[in-house]
Amino acid sequence: MLYVISIIPEDLELVIPGNVGFFEVLIVVSFLIHILFVNITVGSSALAVVQEIKGIRTKRAEDDMLAAQLATHTSILKSIAVVMGIAPLLLISVLYTQYFYPSTILIGKAWLSLLLILLVAFLFLYAYKFTWDKMTHIRKKRVHVLIGAVGSAMLLFVPLIFIVNVVSMLYPDMWEESKGFFHALTYYPQVWQRYIHFILASFAIAGFYLYFWNNRLQKKNGKNEQSKANLCMQKQGKRLGLQVMIGTTALQFIAGTWLLMNFEREIRLLYMGDDPFLTGLLLSSIFVTMILLFFLYLLMKHDKRKYFMMSLASFILVLGIMGWMRHELRETYIKPYKDEVPQTTEVQVNETNAE
Amino acid sequence: MDFPVVEFPWFGNGSVIAVIAIVHVIVSHGIAIGATTLMVSLEYVGMKKNKEGLIDVAKKFSKWILIITTTVGALTGVGIWFSTTVIQPDSIGSLLRIFFWAWFVEWIVFITEVVLLLVYFYTWDKWKGAKRYIHNRIGMVLVLLGWLTAAIITGILSAKLTPGKWAETLSFWNAFFNPTYLPSLGFRTFIAIVLAVALVSIFVRFFIKDKNVQIDVFAVFGKINAVSLPLLLLTGVWYLFNIPQEAYDLIVWSTGMTKGIFTWVNIAGLIVFIIFGLWMLFKPGRISIILSLAVFFSSMGFIAEFEMVRESVRKPFIIYDYMYANGVVEKDAEKYNEEGYLPNSTFAAVEEVTEDNLYEAGEELYKGQCLACHTVDGWREKRAFATRLNGWTEEAIDTYIDTLHETRPFMPPFVGTEEEQKALAHFLHKVANEERQNNVEAKGEDE
Repeated sequence: MLYVISIIPEDLELVIPGNVGFFEVLIVVSFLIHILFVNITVGSSALAVVQEIKGIRTKRAEDDMLAAQLATHTSILKSIAVVMGIAPLLLISVLYTQYFYPSTILIGKAWLSLLLILLVAFLFLYAYKFTWDKMTHIRKKRVHVLIGAVGSAMLLFVPLIFIVNVVSMLYPDMWEESKGFFHALTYYPQVWQRYIHFILASFAIAGFYLYFWNNRLQKKNGKNEQSKANLCMQKQGKRLGLQVMIGTTALQFIAGTWLLMNFEREIRLLYMGDDPFLTGLLLSSIFVTMILLFFLYLLMKHDKRKYFMMSLASFILVLGIMGWMRHELRETYIKPYKDEVPQTTEVQVNETNAE
Repeated sequence: MDFPVVEFPWFGNGSVIAVIAIVHVIVSHGIAIGATTLMVSLEYVGMKKNKEGLIDVAKKFSKWILIITTTVGALTGVGIWFSTTVIQPDSIGSLLRIFFWAWFVEWIVFITEVVLLLVYFYTWDKWKGAKRYIHNRIGMVLVLLGWLTAAIITGILSAKLTPGKWAETLSFWNAFFNPTYLPSLGFRTFIAIVLAVALVSIFVRFFIKDKNVQIDVFAVFGKINAVSLPLLLLTGVWYLFNIPQEAYDLIVWSTGMTKGIFTWVNIAGLIVFIIFGLWMLFKPGRISIILSLAVFFSSMGFIAEFEMVRESVRKPFIIYDYMYANGVVEKDAEKYNEEGYLPNSTFAAVEEVTEDNLYEAGEELYKGQCLACHTVDGWREKRAFATRLNGWTEEAIDTYIDTLHETRPFMPPFVGTEEEQKALAHFLHKVANEERQNNVEAKGEDE
């Protein structure tokens, strides 16, 4: 007897409990909210360490205060980032069981190690935040920087595991030859391109948040009631935030192009004219990013609320387009497999019972 | 075996899930729900009776509750999904589809809970004077949300053992409000509180230096405990009356203890809890350190035992009457017996058993049907083939597999063709006897 077996497993027999189109909207939206908090957490943790080192060099109180503020952002937002991740994880498990489960299990031990890495990183980052005022002597300060750096370095590593997983699920044909996480880092295309794209975004969004937060502090408390160091910190926070965001966003044009160039030829061409919709998405994302940069520049020059609102609006638009494009890309990659081995979207009549 | 397989040869695949789950149960019940309740109660009593000392203790609690729940608690919670996805994909994949909306609502409750916990922690000094009660109210909502997360997840967990009418109707509500839902929820609620008292008392004893504050704290704990402990026992008995007889019969077995030891250990543990409870009520100023340590460790022992029992008594199923512990859907058994298990497995390296690939085919069957609970040579010897099948012949193993699920009612039946069964017997015989023999000899030569 000859058995023809697909590379993709059959879908589970239980029905996907809802409208697939609606679930796709949910996964894009919930993923974006999750990744927004992740971005700020990852970016802020690294910026905090850099800023603290700068503070040691300059011996200016406001530098150290800004670093402490960044560490507090990291500590608070990481908790929200984790719970926000539940919905997209639930949805990807239900919608893409046939792809996401194999790709997860193929890097199973690395996937499980995520728990340990994040646990240790979070504990380091708590220690970093809660010992800020206790480790001020220069000798202790060096150790303190080290604590933050270890936590932050671990956070910078974590996205790689996620990226390998979601890239691997696009390439079922390559599963058989794959040999675990470290092999996958160079085996699958797109991994490092996505990583750079992601890290740049983390700094950009952390920068934007830094601007937003210090602007809020400035407006909330009247200038007269605050200490000089506080005012300096807010001013510096706003400037640094915008500089980081503008710089890293500009670099995204290079990172994004590099990523696009690493798609398979047929898929790349879909984004370059073959598919009007996908091409439209790509072009508008480039266009809106330019507008975003323009408003950010104006914001830096004039520091007016209307420019902030315009920047925010174009940022949300870019974020939405990016999330949507990412989803379309996944769908494009897995379409041939999906056609061959469909998802379970309605109750199957059991043949043995029907007879 | 529709998914690839990861093997933890020494630790055992089942143990990976168990460790993560037990830590999560301790933190989610004991800290997130239980200790939070104690914290908010201390704040409440402190405000009522104008005892700043109690409020300060609550403040200290909040820092540690925040740190522990957002690190160990949150990550082991997600960790249960992570580990089951890697080790029991069929089971968790099915559960996610049955209970999608319960988990989706759980997500929203979790977010609110975390945000409120952050608000609670960062706003201790925000409200002063008459408005101070606002902070305590936030705490009360936080307690309610924590309990709500348990109320949702309990529907899912209890359905795995007693799905009730779900197996016929496939209805979400039938599964969620299954026969053991209410007793489970009651039981977990009081476990959370009793566990929290047991976990934090030792720290109160050691780190609250002011004796008067210590007395006040234990007086509050004593009262809460005096209500919760009897209710815990009552709901526990209610729960036991509602689980299937087959499951009830497996309780002692699932702990790995003999009947005598099981009874002795549990009664001794219970007595320690009762003495400790009375002590808090009548001598809150002189809490014994040894007794605090005893309840600290025995509470974790109890919760681990409870988890092991809950996970084990539903064997041979993982979702009762629907899916076996090894991920095989019960009604597919027939199909596998006729067509073969391997040809129906996407990720099996071997599809058809031949004379030459007996060992490889057997290994694939082992991965697909045994690995969820067993190891070849792992630390849990009762589940290690090298121990269980030591000295057995290939034929004896083959015959035994035939009636395995009857002799050992907690094991799923083998599914597959006769050739596949022979291949599995061949593989098990090799790894349990010959390979082990070689290892032993190799070690002997080294020495």
